[in-house]
Amino acid sequence: MTSWFVFIIVGHGLVAIALALMGLKRRVAVLLAAAPLGAMFLWAITATVTGNVLDGGALVAYLEWLPALGVSLSLRIDALSLIFLSLIAGVGLAIVAFSGGYMKKADPPGRFLALLLLFAAAMSGLVAVDNVFGLFVFWELTTVTSFLLIGYDDRKGSARAAAFQAMLTTGLGGLALLAGLVLLSHAAGTTSVAGIIAASPTGGVVTAALGLVLVGVFTKSAQFPFHFWLPGAMAAPTPVSAYLHSATMVKAGIFLLIRLAPGFAGDPIWVPLVVSVGLVTMVIGAWRALRQTDLKLLLAHGTVSQLGLMTALAGIGSPAVLHAAVAMVVAHALFKSALFLTMGTVDSAAGTRDLRLLSGLGRRLPVAAIAGGLAAASMAGIAPLFGFVAKEAAFAALIEDDRWTAMGVIAVASIATVGYALRFWWGAFGAKPLVLESTSGEEGSTRPTAGLVIPPLVLAAIGLVFGAAPGGVDRLVSAAAPGGKLVLWPGWNLALALSGLVLAAGLLVHVQREFVSRFQRSAARWAHERVGMPSTERGYESAVSGLNRFADRVTGIVQNGSLPIYLAIILSVTVGVPAGAWAISGGGWQGSPWAFSAAEAVLAVFVAVAAIAVTRSQSRLAAVLLLGAVGYAVAGLFVVYGAPDLALTLLLVETITVAIFAFVLMRLPRRFEVRKWRIRGWVRGTVALGVGVFVAAGTLIAAAQRTARPVSEQYADLAPGAGGTNVVNVILTDFRALDTLGEITVVGIAALGVAALVAGLRSPTGGRT
Amino acid sequence: MTTVVSLLVVVPLAAVALTLLWRRLWVRRLISLLSSATSFVIALIVLFTVDAGGSVTVAVGGWEAPLGITLVADRFSALMLSVSAAALFGVLAFAVGQRDTDEGFPAFHAVYQALAAGVALAFLTGDLFTLFVAFEIMLTASYVLITHRAGAEQVRATMTYVVVGLVASGLFLLGIGFVYAATGTVNLAELSARMGDIDPAVRTALGWLFFMVFGIKAAIFPLFFWLPDSYPTAVTPVTAIFAGLLTKVGVYAIVRTQTLLFPLEAPSTPILLIAGLTMVVGVLGAISQGDIKRILSFHIVSQIGYMIMGLGFFTVAGIAAAIVFIVHQVIVKTVMFLVGGLVESASGTGRLKEVTGVLHRFPVIALLFLPAALSLAGLPPFSGFVGKLALIQAGFDAGRWMVVGVSLLASLLTLFSMTKIWSAAFWGAPTPNLRRRPSSVMVAATAGLVGLSLLIGLAGQPLIEIATRAASDLLSDSATASGGSA
Repeated sequence: MTSWFVFIIVGHGLVAIALALMGLKRRVAVLLAAAPLGAMFLWAITATVTGNVLDGGALVAYLEWLPALGVSLSLRIDALSLIFLSLIAGVGLAIVAFSGGYMKKADPPGRFLALLLLFAAAMSGLVAVDNVFGLFVFWELTTVTSFLLIGYDDRKGSARAAAFQAMLTTGLGGLALLAGLVLLSHAAGTTSVAGIIAASPTGGVVTAALGLVLVGVFTKSAQFPFHFWLPGAMAAPTPVSAYLHSATMVKAGIFLLIRLAPGFAGDPIWVPLVVSVGLVTMVIGAWRALRQTDLKLLLAHGTVSQLGLMTALAGIGSPAVLHAAVAMVVAHALFKSALFLTMGTVDSAAGTRDLRLLSGLGRRLPVAAIAGGLAAASMAGIAPLFGFVAKEAAFAALIEDDRWTAMGVIAVASIATVGYALRFWWGAFGAKPLVLESTSGEEGSTRPTAGLVIPPLVLAAIGLVFGAAPGGVDRLVSAAAPGGKLVLWPGWNLALALSGLVLAAGLLVHVQREFVSRFQRSAARWAHERVGMPSTERGYESAVSGLNRFADRVTGIVQNGSLPIYLAIILSVTVGVPAGAWAISGGGWQGSPWAFSAAEAVLAVFVAVAAIAVTRSQSRLAAVLLLGAVGYAVAGLFVVYGAPDLALTLLLVETITVAIFAFVLMRLPRRFEVRKWRIRGWVRGTVALGVGVFVAAGTLIAAAQRTARPVSEQYADLAPGAGGTNVVNVILTDFRALDTLGEITVVGIAALGVAALVAGLRSPTGGRT
Repeated sequence: MTTVVSLLVVVPLAAVALTLLWRRLWVRRLISLLSSATSFVIALIVLFTVDAGGSVTVAVGGWEAPLGITLVADRFSALMLSVSAAALFGVLAFAVGQRDTDEGFPAFHAVYQALAAGVALAFLTGDLFTLFVAFEIMLTASYVLITHRAGAEQVRATMTYVVVGLVASGLFLLGIGFVYAATGTVNLAELSARMGDIDPAVRTALGWLFFMVFGIKAAIFPLFFWLPDSYPTAVTPVTAIFAGLLTKVGVYAIVRTQTLLFPLEAPSTPILLIAGLTMVVGVLGAISQGDIKRILSFHIVSQIGYMIMGLGFFTVAGIAAAIVFIVHQVIVKTVMFLVGGLVESASGTGRLKEVTGVLHRFPVIALLFLPAALSLAGLPPFSGFVGKLALIQAGFDAGRWMVVGVSLLASLLTLFSMTKIWSAAFWGAPTPNLRRRPSSVMVAATAGLVGLSLLIGLAGQPLIEIATRAASDLLSDSATASGGSA
């Protein structure tokens, strides 16, 4: 069974390659893209029905990848995985069908559908894999495909910026997640997700690890304070928004929360952090959704809000609440993707998605209006839709658990949810007396094709079926998170009363929308002016521009382009660090600085004076001659040490060098140009002096360490046997002949380089063409 | 086997001579390509032999150490030889495909093969002074390559490179002088045995001196300034091979000398500090740039920090991770510059403000950039992910949270920088300057190296295993460079 799963995942990839490479006709491309999704959907259903998944079992397969690092792609597909897999494949099918009609202007649809399929494969892997690093791999793959899809209309600057923002935010979370998972797996002693949950380690490290994992979760699922990227991601084509940014990818974080909750909800950081972040996000999203005039942004903020709800539920983590959270995931995926697609239909029919400009579309687009109505009703929590069932379960579980604060906040935010659900439907389809009836945005656009209206209708209808008969779905949901029961009619209880109250209040919010909007405007003004409430969007922008400024400043200081400064730093560090290390580790003075002959002393002073004079010289010729003098004096030292042939060689080299320099100097000005140094003279002097002292002292100290017999003495003994009496010659040509060969190569290469350089500078183009 | 190991130096050296004998360009290209391909095959043979049967020592000229020079092929050097040979071959193929690199520069192939010989010798030698000679060959060749086809302006820019290189060589020589003065030998295996006899303070100082000397070549903080100023001025194949190889030879020398001569007892906070600063300052430099090659040059620096970090943990896992990371970087850095070169050769510019929409005009370049860029940022399933995950795990094992956190931050900034290149150059409406279709040889050469990166990502297990064995070799007491120590 699992091998079929792997085969289908690989099929996603192969079909994606085919779609990207072959310029297929739209209809063929859509059918081809639907094939692996359809296969996955059938597989998920078959796996649910045939296996023991409904009894809490799982399909398991071992797939090694990098065992040395604990990375594998082992699969563990349980009920929760299957719920997500069905959603990924099922909603994916609707999205692909819709895309065929929607992506009109886009040239060949191949690249778009290929990216969608790659995303679907990554997302399916994410929910099926049982290894923390495997999970991370798929997690990041969804980030990358999401980036590419948000920026799909890459000729628009706004799309590029939104993609960039989403990539950075979720990328930040991804790295935090990775660090957290490494720590978690170390603490648990296994990299298997199921194993980690079973071990559920505790302690300070685990808390830190969970904190990091939660940062990953919050960025991916657009939770406060990272929620801003999701509305930005609405720059993506509508099918992408419906699929990635409402139905599936943004739920990856929720998925991980639901997965981890049974093992880690007891951690001190878990409940306070997750629940508060979730509730804050839910309120912020709902508040903003009520303010939007762009239908797509309304839905986006609504998604943020609903993700907050799911986060909060998963954060509470008790069995009954988790059960409701899973139900919420299913309900939300169905109604929100239907709403997005409906919005897309409206957009392509009317040419706008501004609800202030839309009017009377309900009559022109009856099917879309029905689909949108069903989905909006489900979002608002109206019976008998699945949204109602899920929300009822959540309310009941919260009340049962005595989570009154959470219950209160969720109820208030739900009022807003009802409000913006009504606002959406009214905005898209309602007849507004003061607004000109919407006509086709693009001239002559006829009724929307079946491809545009059927997919949302199907998704919405499934919500109706699930709501009217929740028993079937509940078997899977309960297998994923046992602890509750989904029913259409819970009987007269507090939860139902609360639902009724929420609905009534939501209706009021919609009816009094003028008042609400005035209130929101003045509240926003108050928050902005009086409190100076920081906005996270602006936080992101200032973080990015601050980063750019900081990078510029650091680089401006570090990379100043001045060779003398570079050399000063390189010399002081290379010499200063060893000297400092020597001093810190208690190095003492060794060796006697006074053990030298008179001849050595005279030559040394001569070298030093000549070397200093080189640096002071204004005339080029004098500098060259002084340099030669240094060389001659060093040759003198060789004579003193008993190496006359070396001395002879050095004398020759120095003479030739000076002679060649003299030729060159004939073509140059006599004096060095006066230049302005960027570092002061005393700094240069100190560095030079420091290096000199280091070399001298280092030599003495190092030489004092010698205890072993040096290899050079053996050379003298062995030289005759090697066929020579001059030790230096034998070393050069026999003992260490490889070095000589190497240095000859160096000279040869340098000659080639000089020749090329001269030729290049002489050529009419002046080098580079 | 000893003959086969010597061939790794002999073949490119012979190619230097042979390419100079023939006038015809195609013959030179053929010799050069054959030399690099042969080297790659030999390196792989050596790698498998050494991994199975232990290291191989060659006493050059029949003189045993410490009299003569030894070449030692162990797991670490064989791994480095293999991956560098792959990069050398890939870049050479790219250069041949690009044509204008070697047309008009008759000695290109000779110098390129000299560079290859120097790199091979640096990896193989078991002798500190021969390491200096190897650096000289490599660096002299690089001086020639970087000034190649340079106009007066570029010569000026490359002065920084040459002068810093010469200063570093002088300091290296000084260090060798100190070591010989203290121990009376330059054979690494002998040194490893004798280092224990000298004053610990002197030993520590020598350790830091070599760390810094090789650190200049490796471009660690605060010794890296020369790199971003000089690398981007060279032609693409030259920058690519420099980026892929030269700094890594420096890192190799650091790892080799620090493990063999100056072993630590515990993770080194100063080394980790240098590593962290290198990562962060490097990546900040990248963010502040607006030209693809300059951005990438700063990333070279940043990524060096990760390798130094692995060394700084001074555990088998840490050094193994560093080795995996070096292997990954040799490939990916080379690829990144080749892709940058493809953009440049298609549009005539690498400035992000002047070229957009490469994706639409030449999708194949985008397809090559994306995996390489994601790999550089450490995203799965590419080679960078393997290296980074290994480093993070080693860091947490060593209890060094701080530097691991810094490395993750640097990864995020790397992602930022890569995303910036992508959305600026590859997205958007294609600019009219995107005229020249890159030759299929260039694309194929780049694609081959991208494939290698992908292979490391998808089938990295053998690499991690070899690297782990190599790391435990390095840390084990037995002198790895053993050349029949006296």
